Amino acid sequence: MVIQVPHNPHIHVANRLKLFIILMLLSSTLAAEEKPYAPDVIEGTLVVTAEEAIELILNDPDLTVIDARKKTEYVKGHIEGAINMLNTRMKSEDLEKVCPDKTRAILFYCNGTRCLRSTDAIRKAKSWGYTNLIWFRGGWKEWTDKRLPVVTE
Amino acid sequence: MRIESLSIKSATIAIFTIIGVVAIILSLFAGSYFRQAALDAQMNSLSRVIEVASQEMLKEVSRHTFDLGMKLGHSKDLIQAVRSIEKPGGHSRLVELLDDPFVNGFVGFSEIDLEKIRIYNMDLELIGQSSAGTKGLDAQFADNLTEQLRNRKHTERLKAIDALWISAEGPLYSTLVPLGGLRPIGYLEIINNPVFNLPDIGKITRTPVNTFSITGEKINNDDHDISHGYLPVEFTLHASDGQPAFRIVGYENVDELYREMEETQLVTISCFLLLSLGTLLFALWLFNRFLFTPVRQMSMDMERITHGKLDLKVNSKGLREFHVLADTFNSMSEQVRMRTNDLERLLDMDDSAIMCFDHDKEAVYINKAATSLLDYSNDEIVDLDLTDLFTDDITQLMKNSAVHDSSGQKKLHTSLTCKHKDGHEFQSTAVINCIDVMGQSGYAIALNSASSSKETMTGQNEQRLDAVEQSLSSLLEFAKNNPGLMSGLGNIGLLDSMGVESDKQKRVLREQAVNVMSLALTCWERDLGKTKLDLAEESKIWPVYIDKSTPTTRTLDKYLKLDSCPKNPRNQRVIDTAEFVLRKMKNRTTVGRKKLQDALNAFRLLLSGMKSAG
Repeated sequence: MVIQVPHNPHIHVANRLKLFIILMLLSSTLAAEEKPYAPDVIEGTLVVTAEEAIELILNDPDLTVIDARKKTEYVKGHIEGAINMLNTRMKSEDLEKVCPDKTRAILFYCNGTRCLRSTDAIRKAKSWGYTNLIWFRGGWKEWTDKRLPVVTE
Repeated sequence: MRIESLSIKSATIAIFTIIGVVAIILSLFAGSYFRQAALDAQMNSLSRVIEVASQEMLKEVSRHTFDLGMKLGHSKDLIQAVRSIEKPGGHSRLVELLDDPFVNGFVGFSEIDLEKIRIYNMDLELIGQSSAGTKGLDAQFADNLTEQLRNRKHTERLKAIDALWISAEGPLYSTLVPLGGLRPIGYLEIINNPVFNLPDIGKITRTPVNTFSITGEKINNDDHDISHGYLPVEFTLHASDGQPAFRIVGYENVDELYREMEETQLVTISCFLLLSLGTLLFALWLFNRFLFTPVRQMSMDMERITHGKLDLKVNSKGLREFHVLADTFNSMSEQVRMRTNDLERLLDMDDSAIMCFDHDKEAVYINKAATSLLDYSNDEIVDLDLTDLFTDDITQLMKNSAVHDSSGQKKLHTSLTCKHKDGHEFQSTAVINCIDVMGQSGYAIALNSASSSKETMTGQNEQRLDAVEQSLSSLLEFAKNNPGLMSGLGNIGLLDSMGVESDKQKRVLREQAVNVMSLALTCWERDLGKTKLDLAEESKIWPVYIDKSTPTTRTLDKYLKLDSCPKNPRNQRVIDTAEFVLRKMKNRTTVGRKKLQDALNAFRLLLSGMKSAG
């Protein structure tokens, strides 16, 4: 006796969907493994630690601190006096508003060494003519690891 | 047990069995050790898990207290209140603000048990604290933490610190954060009771956990039934200054652990034993293939060679040692064969009749010249003795007339009356020499050849007898060590094989042989109606002699009386005769046949018993 198995298009689609999900998971895993570190230095930019950043903040009242992370992250906690300016949305005029003098010091930070937002923001600021740029490379992770004061909103 | 009775195969199997037993014992011992080691490892592991869980619990508490501290530390109202504390109503305002989290709550309120909020100036002097919460705390920051904080410089002092410390009320957990953010005007201490969070340890470890104070009072009790099958693992949580704060007891479900371990143990031991036994069996197969079988084959070949098959070669295929051994043995047997042939040829080449008789006067060796002189065939010789060949009493002659030669042996030059096979007698000069045959005295007789003169032959015979004696000694030695090797040497092999039997056994054997032969002849004559001569002629087992033109069965006759039966009867001939008669009787059932069959069986049984005893 021969049993006729009807062709079910849903099974075919389901199999393809499974394959797609597996490939996506695989690629995301590989992508996560290959996520780059922020560079050790950025040319023409001063790299500082959390303690040095505090010294700068305390000693230079005109220092502008830019938090290049997302707003949601900023709201959960940020360095006292920091201005939230997401790197992808940061515009020349926005930066000019908070720091019209392009020779004044601006300190950038983001989530840490695995975050490239502050690197990108500094690259933009440099292209807009800002000359006195400071990079807190360790960012938010180093700040909270050292249990330094944070501001929550 | 003698080492000779142990074969290589038995020894190897014994060694392998010992290895197998040792492997089983070791695996059981290792299994037991593994079980204990696994239990210890599990206990250590759980202890560390509790430690990590405790640190995680404190870290979670710290996160909540830090968040609260940061919120209050940046509160403008609180900063203003601290600055205005010296003003009228300033202190009450400060207390009111510090009481606010107790009244209105905060993010994470339900996660910690807030005990107190206190404010210190930059010199860590208490300037205010909440009225809510526990009472009776010392009006100062914990001593060891104060010292630790004072040693910090510049920005280090901005970092929050956490501490588990022992107060008069019991262990408390504090988080100290700067008040006023990066430009602090003092410090804010958030104090909470860690007992509230201790049950979280059990949630993290996923094992039943009970906590006790250092004095032994139970603080938290897990709902699990830990009365049976659980093993307690203790961990002491220390305060920041090193003092013990809590005793945390986790309970490991050892029943489950034991079950898993037993499964693992069973699998590993089974695999180990299977592999071990497999390896041993494989090794045994290899041993059997390359050691036992070649040794057995070689032994069988050697035995066959020693039983006279000198043309056989031991198989030399095999491992190097076997190859060398087989080649050496083959070479040795070849040499033996050549030497034996040489000796026999030497004796046969002589034209004098040379004969050798043992202690029982039975012929041991007769050369070709003797057989042709007396007209006997080789087969017949083995049944002859001195009285068949000579009318003279050799023993008596030697006793009376023999003289000792230079070497001290008895010799006699005399004339003997010889009996020809056909019955006629003739005279011949002879030299009789007493020789050693298998440890007993025997006689070597050399008869003159007809063509030699008497004087010449006397001297020659003496020399021949010396040569015969030496040659016989060599041959007898060969025969002694290799029974059956020299088929031409008449009774020598038989002498050796019978040498182990006692006189009593010999007598019984002879009686049985005579009995079997008598019964066989009775059956032959009564049931088949034939004569003794017919038996000898038809069976071709016994020789028929022509004695003065009359056919006789001298040899067969000897086996019919105990007195005349040879000391070493030819057992196989007896058996062959009985079987021949039984065969001829076919299906006839008579009393005589039954008696013969029973006697034959008894004779065989006796022989097999004597062989196994030998």
